Amino acid sequence: MSALGVAVKSPSKSTSAKDYIHEVIEEIRTKNPAEPEFHQATQEVFESLVPVLDRHPEYRSAKLLERVAEPERVIMFRVPWMDDRGEIQVNRGFRIEMNSAIGPYKGGLRFHPSVTLGTLKFLAFEQVFKNSLTTLPMGGGKGGSDFDPKGKSDNEVMKFCQSFMTELWRHIGPNTDVPAGDIGVGGREIGYLFGQYKRLANEFTGVLTGKGLNWGGSLIRPEATGYGCVYFADEMLKAQKKSLAGKTCVVSGSGNVSQYTVEKLLDLGAKPVTVSDSDGMIHDPDGITREKLAWVMELKNARRGRISEYATQFKSAKYVPMDYKLGYNPLWDIKADCAFPSATQNEINAKDASNMIKNGVALVAEGANMPSTLEAIQIYLDAGILYGPAKAANAGGVATSGLEMSQNSMRLSWTRQEVDERLHQIMIAIHKNCFETAERYGTPGNYLNGANIGGFVKIANAMLDQGLV
Amino acid sequence: MSTTHDPTSLADVSNPFQSFQDLMPFRVQDVLLVSSLYDSFTLQEDGRLNELIAGEFLELSLPHMPALVHVSSGAEALALAKTERRFNLIITTIRAADMDATELAREVKLAGLDIPVVAMAYDNDERKDFEAHHDLSELDGLFLWQGNARVLVAIVKYVEDLRNVEHDTLAMGVRVVLVVEDNVRYYSAFLPEIYTEIIRQSQSLLSEGINPAHKLVRTRARPKLLLATNFEEAWRLFRAYEPYLLGIISDVEFPRDKVRSREAGFELARMARERIPDLPIVLQSSRAEFAEGAAKAGVAFVRKYSETLLSDLRAFMVEHFSFGEFIFRLADGTEVDRAKDLKSLEEKLRTVPSESIAYHGERNHFSNWFTARTEFALARKMRPRKVSDFDSVDGLRFDLIRSIAEYRREQTDTLVADFDPKVFDPNGNYFARIGGGSLGGKARGLAFVRYLLNYHVVGKLWPGVHISVPPTLVLATDCFDRYLAQNGLRELALNSRDDEQITKEFLSTPLPRDVVRKLRAFVEQVRWPLAVRSSSLLEDSQYQPFTGVYETYMLPNNHPDARVRLRHLLMAIRRVYASTFLRQAKDYLHATPYRLEEEKMAVAIQKVVGNHHENRFYPDFSGVARSYNYYPTPPATSEDGVAAVALGMGRSVVTGERCLSFSPRHPQSIVTFSSVKETLSNTQREFWAVELGEETDTDSEKAMRETAFGLDVAEKDGTLSALGSTYSAENQAIYDGLSRSGVRLVTFAPILKHGVFPLAEILAVLLEVGSQGMNRPAEIEFATCLSNDPRKPHEFGFLQMRPLVLQRETENLDLGEAPTEALLCRSESVMGNGTVDTIRDVVVVDFHRFDRSRSRAAAAVIARYNAELLEAKRPYLLIGVGRWGSTDPWLGIPVTWDQISGARVIVESGFRDFRVMPSQGSHFFQNLTSFQIGYFTVNADVGEGLIAWDWLAAEKAVSEQDFVRHLRFEEPVVVKMNGRKTQGLIYKPGKAS
Repeated sequence: MSALGVAVKSPSKSTSAKDYIHEVIEEIRTKNPAEPEFHQATQEVFESLVPVLDRHPEYRSAKLLERVAEPERVIMFRVPWMDDRGEIQVNRGFRIEMNSAIGPYKGGLRFHPSVTLGTLKFLAFEQVFKNSLTTLPMGGGKGGSDFDPKGKSDNEVMKFCQSFMTELWRHIGPNTDVPAGDIGVGGREIGYLFGQYKRLANEFTGVLTGKGLNWGGSLIRPEATGYGCVYFADEMLKAQKKSLAGKTCVVSGSGNVSQYTVEKLLDLGAKPVTVSDSDGMIHDPDGITREKLAWVMELKNARRGRISEYATQFKSAKYVPMDYKLGYNPLWDIKADCAFPSATQNEINAKDASNMIKNGVALVAEGANMPSTLEAIQIYLDAGILYGPAKAANAGGVATSGLEMSQNSMRLSWTRQEVDERLHQIMIAIHKNCFETAERYGTPGNYLNGANIGGFVKIANAMLDQGLV
Repeated sequence: MSTTHDPTSLADVSNPFQSFQDLMPFRVQDVLLVSSLYDSFTLQEDGRLNELIAGEFLELSLPHMPALVHVSSGAEALALAKTERRFNLIITTIRAADMDATELAREVKLAGLDIPVVAMAYDNDERKDFEAHHDLSELDGLFLWQGNARVLVAIVKYVEDLRNVEHDTLAMGVRVVLVVEDNVRYYSAFLPEIYTEIIRQSQSLLSEGINPAHKLVRTRARPKLLLATNFEEAWRLFRAYEPYLLGIISDVEFPRDKVRSREAGFELARMARERIPDLPIVLQSSRAEFAEGAAKAGVAFVRKYSETLLSDLRAFMVEHFSFGEFIFRLADGTEVDRAKDLKSLEEKLRTVPSESIAYHGERNHFSNWFTARTEFALARKMRPRKVSDFDSVDGLRFDLIRSIAEYRREQTDTLVADFDPKVFDPNGNYFARIGGGSLGGKARGLAFVRYLLNYHVVGKLWPGVHISVPPTLVLATDCFDRYLAQNGLRELALNSRDDEQITKEFLSTPLPRDVVRKLRAFVEQVRWPLAVRSSSLLEDSQYQPFTGVYETYMLPNNHPDARVRLRHLLMAIRRVYASTFLRQAKDYLHATPYRLEEEKMAVAIQKVVGNHHENRFYPDFSGVARSYNYYPTPPATSEDGVAAVALGMGRSVVTGERCLSFSPRHPQSIVTFSSVKETLSNTQREFWAVELGEETDTDSEKAMRETAFGLDVAEKDGTLSALGSTYSAENQAIYDGLSRSGVRLVTFAPILKHGVFPLAEILAVLLEVGSQGMNRPAEIEFATCLSNDPRKPHEFGFLQMRPLVLQRETENLDLGEAPTEALLCRSESVMGNGTVDTIRDVVVVDFHRFDRSRSRAAAAVIARYNAELLEAKRPYLLIGVGRWGSTDPWLGIPVTWDQISGARVIVESGFRDFRVMPSQGSHFFQNLTSFQIGYFTVNADVGEGLIAWDWLAAEKAVSEQDFVRHLRFEEPVVVKMNGRKTQGLIYKPGKAS
């Protein structure tokens, strides 16, 4: 019986969910040649859905995988502009409107010479599930251009942005598609894009996120990822009737994510003892206090100095230079309760993960993007420690985009406390979704499964509900 | 210009001297110099050619002194030589704009002109290359410029001797010295010294009681010097002038029957002694083992390149030569007054009787006297003026006074005046010198800029901007020589490898008293911060940059007690002197064709461009700009040039710290600002200033250096407002200016985007003017003080200008398609051109194992390998990760130039975890290009080139330490570079096609 109430050609029931998934993936390869990133992304997501498809034959018969892998709309357009020397330049603009089942398309714009249709489709596809996981009403999309901002003058960037928006504006809107920034699109570009949209649409609406604070932007953006990650960790502990209070925490990195992770850890009574940069790390067994954190922020944000200076400034700390020969990062080889990888991709390998377990780490919450290698993740899962995967734990950034949209719709600007409080609530909701989904699909405590499945199921159900569109 | 008898100097020449008058029938009258404007300026200014002519030319060929006329092409030279017969010597650079030296010589002969043509190379490699490919028989000589203008004097004398020797020996029995030497570089340095020596000797022979004019005439009887470059020529000259021979100075090894013979010198000595048993003979060689043979043969022996060779041959300094005074006379010959120089002439002209002025005016005496003093411009101006042109003699008198005064003022503005405490105006735009000798490379470049600024509209293009060279006092190289000589420091300085010992000795040794006296007078009147900079003879010479090798000190110079200020100044000068002989400099010099003894240090004492801000002193910003960019990014091209600027003192820029790099032609397209993240990681966050403190009184070296401050200080001082931007983390954006709250960054946005100061325009024009002046790309260093007062102009101070050396693009290689497995390296970002097939050694920093925290250790190991390979004379290929020469050990291996000076080709690659930014902006770079070292940049992770790391790692190392491996191969590692396409390949040994 089809959930749509219409006769659809049903896939052969004899094939297993696994085989079905592979059939779909094969089809995607054939239909979308020369888009290897997209192939890989769909494969990864779909393979994690085996238990879902086993349980939901209706997803199969509604051909949800096939539908979800096909963008609702792809817009490709010419972006002509004139450079400072009066020469005409032609770039290619894109907007992938991937999925609007749960809200307007939402996703960043990327300006980089490497931008192709394939990359953007892959990014849009991932965005769909990321946004879904935040529990906010945001669909998925992505866009951009092969424009290279390198060596362009302010004026050229503006002219490009205006030309780009001159086409894009007819496809987007506060209730249709709300782009944000990404690589090559920061506050400056969002400003130029917004200005041109406003001029063409004759409307001041929240059609883009990442806006300036004085014209519709939201507070807490730099803090969101770090704060959110700590909230998520706190929820994971609470589910176990524990709390962050008094916990010794190792934090890597010293950028935004790391700084605000440390700050929120201090708010919640934990004891952060490390921060690092690409040269090395400091271990301060006495704990990084608020005063010390303020010093780190000044060092890193204003002076852009090296973290090694911390050890000169605070005698309680030891500086350990990065040593690639070791084959592991000594930062993860410190006695601690919780680990907050907040620096970069692949910063934790199998050896690091084993070291953590050995040192008593019982929780890993990923503030950085994909900081753990696949082997490392397997080690967390095998050891049964609490593992908050990046897609859930660092959803705070995406969530504030949603909060900016809400404020724009309401024509309000929330205070820091209000935004922070809502962020907290969102992280609680994300945790709840992941936690319950993991349990429902037979892998209790496995937040990775919970996140993968939770994001998808919300989309899938909405698509079923809305019929064959 | 006709040659007239100048009565003021020759009227009383009596008959016994008449015969001397007949000597030297061939005299170089005027010289055509075919070269770039800068080359000719270098010769004139560096060597104080005026004085050289007066002191050295003058004694040879009075009453006419050679004038140097500069043209920039062979065609111009030919045209001028044909129309104006006064030119009887052409000195040309090897490659003039349109024809090379041999072509020019041929053209001269074809045109039926009997003018000797001598080629002067500016670079030894260029010279060798030229010699190998050209028939030099049409040339009358080939010399190598090595930063000493005396070579020019030597060329003139050499040519004159060549032409006059037959006549003069027959007429007067003038003696002859035979020099046998086939090494161009060597005799180019050696002949000037020998000439100086010979002149000195002949002067000392002159009896007392004759007046200077007689001396001048008499010195024409000095011995001739003949140069032979092979055995047959030497023997022919020996036989031809046997009766007149004074002695022989000969190389040991030189060609005989076209083959280089180790016995040639000994054989020549033997044959010569057979005929003249007591003939003085000196053999010289760089090989010590010949000493024994020489002793056996009973001839003297000196070691070439020995540090004391020249001092061995030089006994005294040349006595300063009198120019001859202007004697005011009445028509009956009564002397009424005398003037010894232009200044006193101007004074005396006011008081001498009109009768005397009329007498001299009618006879062209004034213009003749000017000519004799090589003041040609003034001479030309005065010659056509007759007494009859004026209403009265006083009309002529005032015209003369006005012309001389004008001329002198012009000279003060463009030329270098002698420091005279009595007339020194500390608030004036002075450029003065203490002592004779050369100004050194840096000061010479500045003097050239002053000249350009005065004669070119560029100085006046921007009404609100005052472009100038900061007031400068130069201690010329003679001060250095005297300092060394009077204190007997030379031996220690040349031989000791102990930096501490040298510094200690120098610091405790006083400067010559008259120099100290002048410096005291200077410092008593000057109370602003001073930069004490090295300006060595060889530094910044066109092919041999020594930038960064010698020291620069910053003196607060604010102590109320002038004695303390003087003490600090003397300390800094001695430190600069000492730096000439420190290990770094010695090692550096070793890699050049020069000997340490040829190096001399002048010191430029420059007013620091800047403003007071509480206890800090610094300019709003400083920078370096080059007219050629090795790493252009679209839309800029290489020819658009590049500038690097930073708030505060220039130390940020020259040491390669974070600063702003932009093309003056595209000031708004800034590569490092393409994203917020990149901007944040590439912008300057601290700056350097001279710290004044409470009447700073410390002799420590640290007190003579700049101090770093944070941008908050600059913001408080008000200096950030014209240069700053603000980063807002909340908005992920960078805003021009400081009106918002957030992190401050130095972006120069108000200047480059919003017209606060026309920096890009000024740089673009100055670079163009500079490179035109030098006929090659130029580099300038500058510092700027912005004015808040609309009535006061902004100050743009030139700190330095020098030629930027590019690779010679002799061939345009086609790299073709090379199979990847044959390659050691490929890069699309290469400097250098041509094929290198002499490398068999590779020093490689292991990419896989290298650890950035150990980069200092790696630098030490590299320095060791470098020293070993340099000593073994094995050029090598250096491959490493990060920015070579970075001062930040985390960004690259912090080697100094001397630590890698033996590398022939260098490869710079990204770290595993870090993409490398090319080392654009550091002084280091200039060295690489000047030594014409191939330079490859590879970022394999982003598809820019490749390095066969695995292959390298698998090769057995001769030696290995701290991830640095030294590999040696039987077959050469061939390097091919295409400079125009900036592509390059390095083949594995034996794999080159």
